[in-house]
Amino acid sequence: MKGVLPVATRELQSFFVSPVAYVVLTLWSILAGSFFLSSLLGFLASQEQTRQLAAVGHVSQTNLSDGLVLPFIGAMWIVMLFLLPAVTMGLFASEKSNGTEELLLTSPLTGWDIVLGKFCAGAAFAAIMIAIVAFFPALLFAYGDPEIGKIASGLLALFLVSLAYVSVGAFASSLTRNQLIAFMITLVTLLVLGMLMPFIVDAGALGGSGEPGAVASAARWVATGHHAERLLTGLVDTSDVAYFAIITTAFLVLTKTAVESVRWR
Amino acid sequence: MPAISVQDLSKRFGSVLAVDGINFSVEPGEVVGFLGPNGAGKTTTMRMLTGYLPPSNGSVQIAGHDTFSDGLAARKAIGYLPETPPLHPEMSVSGYLRYVAAIKGMPRAARKPAVSRAIARCGLADVAGRVISTLSKGYRQRIGLAQAIVHDPPVLVLDEPSVGLDPIQIREIRGLIEELTAPLGAPSSARESGVDRQTVILSTHILSEVEAICDRVILIDRGVVALDESLASLTAGGRRLEEVFSQVIAGDRPPAGAAS
Ligand SMILES: Nc1ncnc2c1ncn2[C@@H]1O[C@H](COP(=O)(O)OP(=O)(O)OP(=O)(O)O)[C@@H](O)[C@H]1O
Ligand SMILES: [Mg+2]
Repeated sequence: MKGVLPVATRELQSFFVSPVAYVVLTLWSILAGSFFLSSLLGFLASQEQTRQLAAVGHVSQTNLSDGLVLPFIGAMWIVMLFLLPAVTMGLFASEKSNGTEELLLTSPLTGWDIVLGKFCAGAAFAAIMIAIVAFFPALLFAYGDPEIGKIASGLLALFLVSLAYVSVGAFASSLTRNQLIAFMITLVTLLVLGMLMPFIVDAGALGGSGEPGAVASAARWVATGHHAERLLTGLVDTSDVAYFAIITTAFLVLTKTAVESVRWR
Repeated sequence: MPAISVQDLSKRFGSVLAVDGINFSVEPGEVVGFLGPNGAGKTTTMRMLTGYLPPSNGSVQIAGHDTFSDGLAARKAIGYLPETPPLHPEMSVSGYLRYVAAIKGMPRAARKPAVSRAIARCGLADVAGRVISTLSKGYRQRIGLAQAIVHDPPVLVLDEPSVGLDPIQIREIRGLIEELTAPLGAPSSARESGVDRQTVILSTHILSEVEAICDRVILIDRGVVALDESLASLTAGGRRLEEVFSQVIAGDRPPAGAAS
């Protein structure tokens, strides 16, 4: 396990000499700013309505977090789905195309050293993205007083979701030497897992007898979107947390297998 | 215990039998020149020695550790310069070497002096702070060599170490290899003789290099060992290595397939 740290540090450093990291962080910040602003404007408009109906007077707590912060975090979840694959696409693919895979695999590192090192670097980058998102709700404390617990759990949920995405991205990157292909595999996997699958399952359930079968409910459980939505709306349920832990672990195991298959192919 | 021991090693790529049941062993402190025409299977063999490629058949032990069942210990004992130096172009030379020292498992305190020593030994002092992508091919080759020796491994596997180097640097690299494999000078009484000498197996197409630094020559042709002899006996009577090489390779040899 001592090998995790150098692998992770080098990877994290390499993020910040590549333009991709800066493009991702810039887009992310701009989108976070605009989504926050639009959520804020929407929230103020609804406040105005409420005020007109019944003179409430004060900005109430629950409204601030439920009406503004959680929808904002939910929007950033969708953005993350598209941006994080660009961060993870190079994790293994660039080692293959550089020829540095030969160094990595002939060093006294275990498969887990390598995979967890890469994963930790991706997770650290995701943490930076979460910190940028956290900045905006933090501004609210100047105005009213939003529920800190709810906001924190929303952000934590977003981080949890991002860990699963990093894990999927690492796996995709371990399959190819081409970063663009790694990006597309990740994006498609995340979209199918997150959006398409619940949609297909629902459509199937509607078209069929209406009673969801065992297969349909299993598919629904595997689908990411379902659990993410619930977590991000502040419903911290251990089964949803467990779901993301399982997805993350499963893809890390797959990644380790793929990485070691190069050594023992 | 031999530093490198190879039994019945074979590698098949689809229909191509790149390495076909080779056997040899290398004693600690030996410098072995691994020769052969293009496509003979030198790179493939070295990749199996270092545990990068799995053999299709046979086994390899490095300092007594099997590369398959005891891979971690075997890899720990090896410094490896692949055919293309495995460089991270965005890193600085010294940053890259510090990273290599770390993944080779060196303790934190030992890394800095090890990196400085590798930089000095490979003539990289002038470019230590430069970003690798801005350096010339010859410098990249030197960095490749520096990463192979940075953790002072007992076994060095060098795939064409002098490719792309200028004549002066080639001479310096020869000097370096001689220095690595010579019995260590100063406190030699404290060391068991032979143990602290590094073992080197290097592939090259420059026969004068072999004559200058190797103790022994292993010549492979189309995946089989065609010759395995000490340099002294090969060149006895003033024969040149070049004659020996072409005699062994000549004959019923069809045109070789495209090498990697
Ligand atoms: N990954 C691979 N897939 C398929 N064939 C391969 C692969 N690597 C090597 N070969 C084949 O194996 C044979 C030996 O190649 P190898 O690279 O080991 O030769 P070499 O002795 O290092 O040659 P050179 O002197 O040109 O470096 C060649 O016929 C080559 O085409
Ligand atoms: Mg070769």
